[in-house]
Amino acid sequence: MTAQAPLTPTKTVEMRDENTILEVNNLKMHFPITKGISTRVRGWVKAADDVSFFLRQGETLGLVGESGCGKTTVGRCIVRAYKPTAGEILYRNEDGSVVDLAALKPDEVRPYRKDIRMVFQDPYSSLNPRMTVLELISEVLKVNKLESSDTIQTRVGALLEKVGMRPEYMQRYPHAFSGGERQRIVVARALITNPRIIVCDEAVSALDVSIRAQILNLLESLQKEFNLTYLFISHDLSVIRHICNRIVVMYVGKVVEVSDALEIYTGPRHPYTEALLSSVPLADPNGREGRQRIHLEGEIADPSNPPSGCYFHPRCQYAKERCKTDAPELRDLGGNHFVACHFAEDLKLAAVIK
Amino acid sequence: MDNTLIDVKDLKVHFFTDEGVVRAVDGVDLKLERGRTLSLVGESGCGKSVACRALMQIVRNPGKVVAGEILYNRGAEGGQAEIIDIAKMDPKGKEIRDIRGKEISMIFQEPMTSLSPMYTVGNQIIENILLHTNLTKEQARDLAIKLLDQVGIPRADRLVDEYPFRLSGGMRQRSMIAMALSCNPNLLIADEPTTALDVTTQANILDLMSDLQKSYNMTLLFITHDLGVVAEIADEVAVMYLGKIVEKSDVYTIFNSPRHPYTQALLKSIPKIAIKREDLDPIKGMVPNPFRRPGGCPFHPRCPQAFAECKVLVPTTTQLTPNHSVQCLLYENFANRIATEQKQ
Ligand SMILES: Nc1ncnc2c1ncn2[C@@H]1O[C@H](COP(=O)(O)OP(=O)(O)OP(=O)(O)O)[C@@H](O)[C@H]1O
Ligand SMILES: Nc1ncnc2c1ncn2[C@@H]1O[C@H](COP(=O)(O)OP(=O)(O)OP(=O)(O)O)[C@@H](O)[C@H]1O
Ligand code: SF4
Ligand SMILES: [Mg+2]
Ligand SMILES: [Mg+2]
Repeated sequence: MTAQAPLTPTKTVEMRDENTILEVNNLKMHFPITKGISTRVRGWVKAADDVSFFLRQGETLGLVGESGCGKTTVGRCIVRAYKPTAGEILYRNEDGSVVDLAALKPDEVRPYRKDIRMVFQDPYSSLNPRMTVLELISEVLKVNKLESSDTIQTRVGALLEKVGMRPEYMQRYPHAFSGGERQRIVVARALITNPRIIVCDEAVSALDVSIRAQILNLLESLQKEFNLTYLFISHDLSVIRHICNRIVVMYVGKVVEVSDALEIYTGPRHPYTEALLSSVPLADPNGREGRQRIHLEGEIADPSNPPSGCYFHPRCQYAKERCKTDAPELRDLGGNHFVACHFAEDLKLAAVIK
Repeated sequence: MDNTLIDVKDLKVHFFTDEGVVRAVDGVDLKLERGRTLSLVGESGCGKSVACRALMQIVRNPGKVVAGEILYNRGAEGGQAEIIDIAKMDPKGKEIRDIRGKEISMIFQEPMTSLSPMYTVGNQIIENILLHTNLTKEQARDLAIKLLDQVGIPRADRLVDEYPFRLSGGMRQRSMIAMALSCNPNLLIADEPTTALDVTTQANILDLMSDLQKSYNMTLLFITHDLGVVAEIADEVAVMYLGKIVEKSDVYTIFNSPRHPYTQALLKSIPKIAIKREDLDPIKGMVPNPFRRPGGCPFHPRCPQAFAECKVLVPTTTQLTPNHSVQCLLYENFANRIATEQKQ
C-alpha cells in the first residue's frame, strides 16, 4: 500500500505492508571526531552505517551485538534524539499515513515524541534526583503541553498502579526506591504519553535476576494491554530469547542478520551470529564438557576506522579472499531471513538449540 | 590428609555504621578444596564481595571481622599441614601482607579501581613480583611479559608499557589476571571478573581462567550473580542470601535438584536459551533493607513454602548428603529446638 505523508510533501513514501509500523532504511549516523577545542573534523565515527530493518505492529524486535556496535545510536535516531546523517525512518501514523522521521526538522518532530518513547540504559542516572516521582513521570506532558495539570495527578496515580507501585509514592524522590522500583518508574514515564512504540535500551540489564523477571513480565503484560511495539536493545541473549519475536544482529554499525527469534538460535546464517551465540553461557551444567565454543580472536573493529570488505573478516573463521575486498549486502534468503555474508547459502553453522 | 586449602568457619563480618549495624556476612561456612572452583552466587548486596575481602583481611571501614575462623593450610600440597587462622591476623600486619597478592590474590569487581591509572600495566605487575620474590627488575619484567602473553594479550612486549586506560575492557581484565597470577597463588579470588564484559570476551576469559587453573593447579573462588557463568565454570556452588550460605553442593546437584526454596526460585526466575517460557517466575518482594532483616529464616517473607516456625526459628545447617547442605526448616528436625529455645 502507498500512503501520503502530510509532513513530508516532497516525496511519496512507501512502506512494505500495513502491519509495519516503523521501517528503517539505510540509516547512517556518523559522529565527527574533533580534538580539543578545535572544530576541525579529523574523521568520523560511523556508529550506525547502513542499518535497515522494520518493526511490525505489536511485536518485540531484539537488537543485539557487542558493546559499541551502535545499538543505542540506532535507538536514539528512532526517537530523534539524534538527527541521522542519512537514511529513512518511516513511521506509520494511526490513521495509516506515513512520515519519514529522519527528514523532519526539530520542531516538526514534537508530535511524534509522544508516540515513540525510549527507556534508557541506566535506572540510576536516568532519573533526576531532585524531582519527585510525579514530576518525573509527568515532565514530558508539561514540556509538550499535552495535558492540564489537574488531571495529571490522577493519570500518574493510575499508571503507577499499572506498573505495580503505590500511587502514594508519587511525592517521593527516586533515592527512596530500589533499582527495580526505579525501573518501574522509568517504564511509567515512557507510558504516560500513550506511546505506540517503546525503545527499551538495556532496560533490565542492571537488575538482579529476580527483579529482572518482574520487569520482563511487566513489559509483556503492558504490551498485551496497550498493543505496544518494542524495540528491545540488549546484549543479554537469554533475555532476548525470552522476550523477542524477531532479532536484528549488529556488528560495527551494520546489520549482519535479521530473522525470526527462534531461527537465530536454531539456525544462524551469519558467522558472527554463530560466534556470538556460542559465547552465551547456558544456565545448565549438564553436558558442558562436550560443548564447543567458537573463540572470536582479536578485538571488535573500530567504527572510525573499520576494516575493508566485510567488517567481520579479520575475526571470521570462514573468511575468503573476496571478504577482504567486497562488502556483503544484506540479502533476503527467503522467509524473512536477511543476512549480510557472501557465503550465507554455503556455510553450515552451529546452532545453540538443536 | 584432606585436600582443604581454606576452611571458613562461622565467619561474621559486620559494618558499624551511624545508622546501625549491617550484618553483611552472618555466619558463613565454606571449604575451598585445592585445584577446584567454588562459585559464590546470590543477588546484589547478599555479602559476596565482603566475604571474599575478609579472606584477605581487606574489609573496608567501618567493617570488621567480628567472629569466626579462616583456617588456611599454607603447607605444600600433600606435605605437612601448616594451618594458620587468617581471621586472627592484624589487617595491617606483616603476616597477612606476605600472603596477600602472593599466596592469595584477587581480581576485583571494578577493574579501574585496582589498576592504577598512574602506572603502566607492566610496572604494576613488576611491583607485585618484586614485593614477593627475590627476582631482579629485569627478570620481573621478563616474567610480566610472559604472563601478559599467557593471558592472551597480543604484542605483550609492547603492551607491557601501556597505561590501563589505553586498553579495552577485555584487555584490562586480562592484565588483572596476569597481575593476580604473577606470584603463582594458591588461591585466586575472582569477584565478578567478567560482568562488565561482552559475552564474546567473557567466553574467552572464562576459558582462559579454567586453563590457567589447570596448569597452575590453583584453587578458584569465583563470585558472580550470573547463573549461566556458574553453570559453565563451577565445580562447587554456594548460594548466598542475606549474609548466609543457604545451600551448598556440587554444580550438578545445585542445578538438577536444588533443595532450598531460594535456590529453586532463583533458577526459576532466569530466562533460558534452550526453552522458551511463557512467563518467568519472579521471586516475590525484594531483598530486604540491610538494617531491617527479618527474624527467623531471613528468606521467610519471600518464601513460597514458609510456614509458622519460619518466622521465629533461624534455620541451622542440615546435611542432606555428604556434599549437599541447606539451611531451611523444611529439612530440619527442629522439634527439640522449639522446646529448648522457648525455655531460654
Ligand atoms: N555522541 C557520540 N559522539 C561520538 N561517538 C559516539 C557518540 N555516541 C556513540 N558514539 C560511538 O559510536 C559507537 C556506537 O555506540 P553505541 O552507544 O551506539 O553502542 P552500543 O551498541 O549501544 O554499545 P553498548 O552495548 O556498550 O551500550 C561507539 O564507538 C561509540 O563510542
Ligand atoms: N562500606 C560499607 N559500609 C556499610 N555497609 C556496607 C559497606 N560495604 C558493604 N556494605 C553492606 O554489606 C552488604 C554486602 O555487600 P557486598 O558488597 O558484599 O554485596 P555483594 O553480594 O558483593 O553485592 P553485588 O552483587 O552488588 O556486588 C550490603 O548490604 C552492603 O550494603
Ligand atoms: S562475508 Fe566473509 S568474512 Fe564476512 S562473515 Fe561472511 S564469510 Fe565471514
Ligand atoms: Mg548502548
Ligand atoms: Mg560484589
